Amino acid sequence: MLSRIRNFSIIAHIDHGKSTLADRLLEYTHTVEKREMREQILDTMDLERERGITIKAQAIRMQYQDHILNLIDTPGHVDFSYEVSRSLAACEGALLLVDATQGIEAQTLANANLAKQNNLFIIPIINKIDLPAAEPERIKEELKNIFGFQPEDVLLASAKEGIGIPEILDAIIKKVPHPKGDIEKPLQALIFDSHYDSFRGVIAYIRVFNGSIKSGMKIRMMGVGEEFEVQEVGTLKLGLIPKTELSAGEVGYLIAGIREVKQCRVGDTVTDAKNPAPKPLPGYKPIKPMVFCGFYPLAGEDFENLKDAVSKLQLNDAALYYEPENSAALGFGLRCGFLGLLHLEIVQERLEREFDLNIIATAPNVVYKSNLANKKSRLIDNPSMMPPATEIESIEEPYLKLTLFTPAEYVGSVMDLAIEKRGSFIDMEYLDPKRVMLTFEIPLAEIISEFHDLLKSVTRGYASMDYEIIGYRVSDLVKMDILLNQEPVDALSTIVPRDQAHYRGKKLAEKLKEVIPRHQFQIPIQASVGAKVVARENISAIRKDVLQKCYGGDITRKRKLLEKQKAGKKRMKRIGRVDVPQEAFLAVLRLGK
Amino acid sequence: MTSLYIHIPFCKKKCNYCDFVSYAGKEALIDDYVDALIREFEPLLTTFNFQLSTIYFGGGTPTLLEPKHFDKIISTIICHLSFDIGHSEISIESNPGTADKTKLKALRELGINRLSIGAQSFNDKQLQIIGRIHNSKDILRFYDDARSAGFDNINLDLIFALPNQTFEEWKSDLQTAINLGPEHLSTYNLQIEEGTPLYLQLTTDNLQLTNEEEELKMYEYTIETLTTAGYKHYEISNFAKPGFECKHNLNYWKNGNYIGVGAGAHSHINGKRWSNPNCIEEYVKSHGSRVAGHRPETPDPRPETIFLGLRLLEGLSVEKFEGFEKEVEELIKDGLLMIENNHYKLTRQGLFLGNLVFEKFV
Repeated sequence: MLSRIRNFSIIAHIDHGKSTLADRLLEYTHTVEKREMREQILDTMDLERERGITIKAQAIRMQYQDHILNLIDTPGHVDFSYEVSRSLAACEGALLLVDATQGIEAQTLANANLAKQNNLFIIPIINKIDLPAAEPERIKEELKNIFGFQPEDVLLASAKEGIGIPEILDAIIKKVPHPKGDIEKPLQALIFDSHYDSFRGVIAYIRVFNGSIKSGMKIRMMGVGEEFEVQEVGTLKLGLIPKTELSAGEVGYLIAGIREVKQCRVGDTVTDAKNPAPKPLPGYKPIKPMVFCGFYPLAGEDFENLKDAVSKLQLNDAALYYEPENSAALGFGLRCGFLGLLHLEIVQERLEREFDLNIIATAPNVVYKSNLANKKSRLIDNPSMMPPATEIESIEEPYLKLTLFTPAEYVGSVMDLAIEKRGSFIDMEYLDPKRVMLTFEIPLAEIISEFHDLLKSVTRGYASMDYEIIGYRVSDLVKMDILLNQEPVDALSTIVPRDQAHYRGKKLAEKLKEVIPRHQFQIPIQASVGAKVVARENISAIRKDVLQKCYGGDITRKRKLLEKQKAGKKRMKRIGRVDVPQEAFLAVLRLGK
Repeated sequence: MTSLYIHIPFCKKKCNYCDFVSYAGKEALIDDYVDALIREFEPLLTTFNFQLSTIYFGGGTPTLLEPKHFDKIISTIICHLSFDIGHSEISIESNPGTADKTKLKALRELGINRLSIGAQSFNDKQLQIIGRIHNSKDILRFYDDARSAGFDNINLDLIFALPNQTFEEWKSDLQTAINLGPEHLSTYNLQIEEGTPLYLQLTTDNLQLTNEEEELKMYEYTIETLTTAGYKHYEISNFAKPGFECKHNLNYWKNGNYIGVGAGAHSHINGKRWSNPNCIEEYVKSHGSRVAGHRPETPDPRPETIFLGLRLLEGLSVEKFEGFEKEVEELIKDGLLMIENNHYKLTRQGLFLGNLVFEKFV
């Protein structure tokens, strides 16, 4: 039985054709008939299709030449690298897809490294060979230089045109090792994804490594320590196909009356409560949100609705963290923690779209570690909570190893950008005469602002990036506060490098001046570090409206103009006497180079 | 009190800043248009049996019509209503150069007793920039003709903050107007509407727009000067010698009833508002009072009563603000509104920032 199973993933840089290849495989193996086919079948959320990325992983089982092929999809963004690594841990092989016109990009490398760490057999595939700009020979060279793949082992395909699909399926059967496992041993199954269904509770996606699992069985989640009784197991097609049992080597789902996804964490090991495995599968990590921001309802009375909405999203998103907080400027809100910026944006967008909430999101920040004079240290996830400078001995912030791929002609600009954003240069490697890989160590705080946009702009969109967290380091940081109309606005406080406080304060004050509308009074904007004002701007007062005539008694037009003017202000948050738009809270991220 | 507004959408040439319902080069349609006007308002007059108190011919350029057209319209009205022509305000808008002394005299004799002259400026360079068909001499001649034709209630429309206009030039415009001694003056600041030729001119020609501080200075100066010259500042942009306030416009500002007839005209009767289609050709083809496209709306009258009424310097009686106590309190705190004689009225600063005040009530 085990010898007829293949578990594999597709890994690729964004837009290199992962979802399209998955669609073709499903079609070719008759797993999904043409008439059921819609674009990017595995991306089920609207947001996924719109953004062209996979947020949640999924799995699907195919039959091909007497073999069972389980395709385990992986999320396509660096925010979710832990989830990617757990999906890969459920597989024995991976298809590494590279765009024939682009070549290896940052996420190609990052994903391939994750696959290697999980000991997967990698099948390199050059996709989009039908395009006129395709350069398969050059890409083969890159694959050889970077990963050591022999050119004859590289498959050529066009997922869009259906070229090379049978060859890929044959290679999966021939080259990817079949799963190994012992059905007689105590149960060990890896949770590689889960989602919340309002009718059935949490549906966990699992890969069984040892033993077997069937309904009625008492199970234990080894990491979170909770126990459940299995209600149903089965395999995955477009829907759920119930089966009596899943055993070692198989991939499928599990339903056990689990109420929240946080009871059923990605990476956790499911075992038999009565006959538990001696230890869990390796690689489980508890969630650690990397990026925080505040969500505040525009209308104070919406706070309870916001809390309800976030708790509903959390049912299905174990990585989403929140707790109530109170801002002097914005009132009651939630401090929320995320895996990264994309994760944050998705949550914010879902709150507005699916729950129809109007919210202000404060600028995202990382978690700082402040080492106090009394030798204690505190984690700070909200800049305004940073203790006074006099009590602090040092501040640490999370650092990344940042890998950048860029055409050689932009190396200078990329270098300048990374150094301006406090990066320290580690390494430079030519992939071929035209393309360069640069490595830096850089604070995460710089990456969660506009780094990616600036990188794209200095390289005309040709560079790509990926990163991994390497730990905390001491930096010379200070808290910068913003005073609007003489009142401190805690929600605009940020942590900045001391030697850039003047420069960033000035830029921020200028940006705020640009986005905050004029009022009937002058509004001073001050940026200060401690008691020292480092930058100052003034928003001048509106002195005079237009004196419009109501021509021929057209009152309706006048009323509509006034209504429009008023509606614009409704989207703003009133702080003291000042109406502040959402853009102001994000201004700190958009200071430019 | 009910007013009748009659829209005359014909012009010799459209001015560069204009985005109202008016068309150049369609004078051939005038006869048919006048017939259509009568077809529209005659049944309205008989159905509702109004006590009409004012009539206003607006445009466009109403003085492009011949006296016979006005005769036809006015006699139809008199035929149906007990309209006291001797004691009611009948206004007409005009542009210098579109009527000679004889025509003006004929209009006066038909009972039209208030003439509003679109002077806009006395500076020939600026008149040219905004695309007026006349120069300053034409205005002076037209004004004299109007006086000698017997008009003893004349309004001058002036625009300030014109492109390239200096404060000194506006002062001089205002002085010229005062020297002429009209009974009424309307002063608006230029507003540049998207899609008008002036809007395009701004991007191609080297035109300097007046900045806000300068505009404010012009407006403040206007108030001081006209008040000193014996005009009463009775509405944000309107000034009149005692007893010469425009009754027709006062009715708009008091959110009264009015029927508007003609292409693009607006009506407000017993809380309902509707408007006619803008197209002359379509209007001319229509029959009877129900012009196609009438879709009356019934907006909440309170916000409109407030934002119209606050335009008047005397303000609006306190009880009209029921339900807006919070807004009123805030505006008083912000120094934009004040109370006087049981009326809420705009403060000096409120006059300059009217839209900020009005938006609170919509």
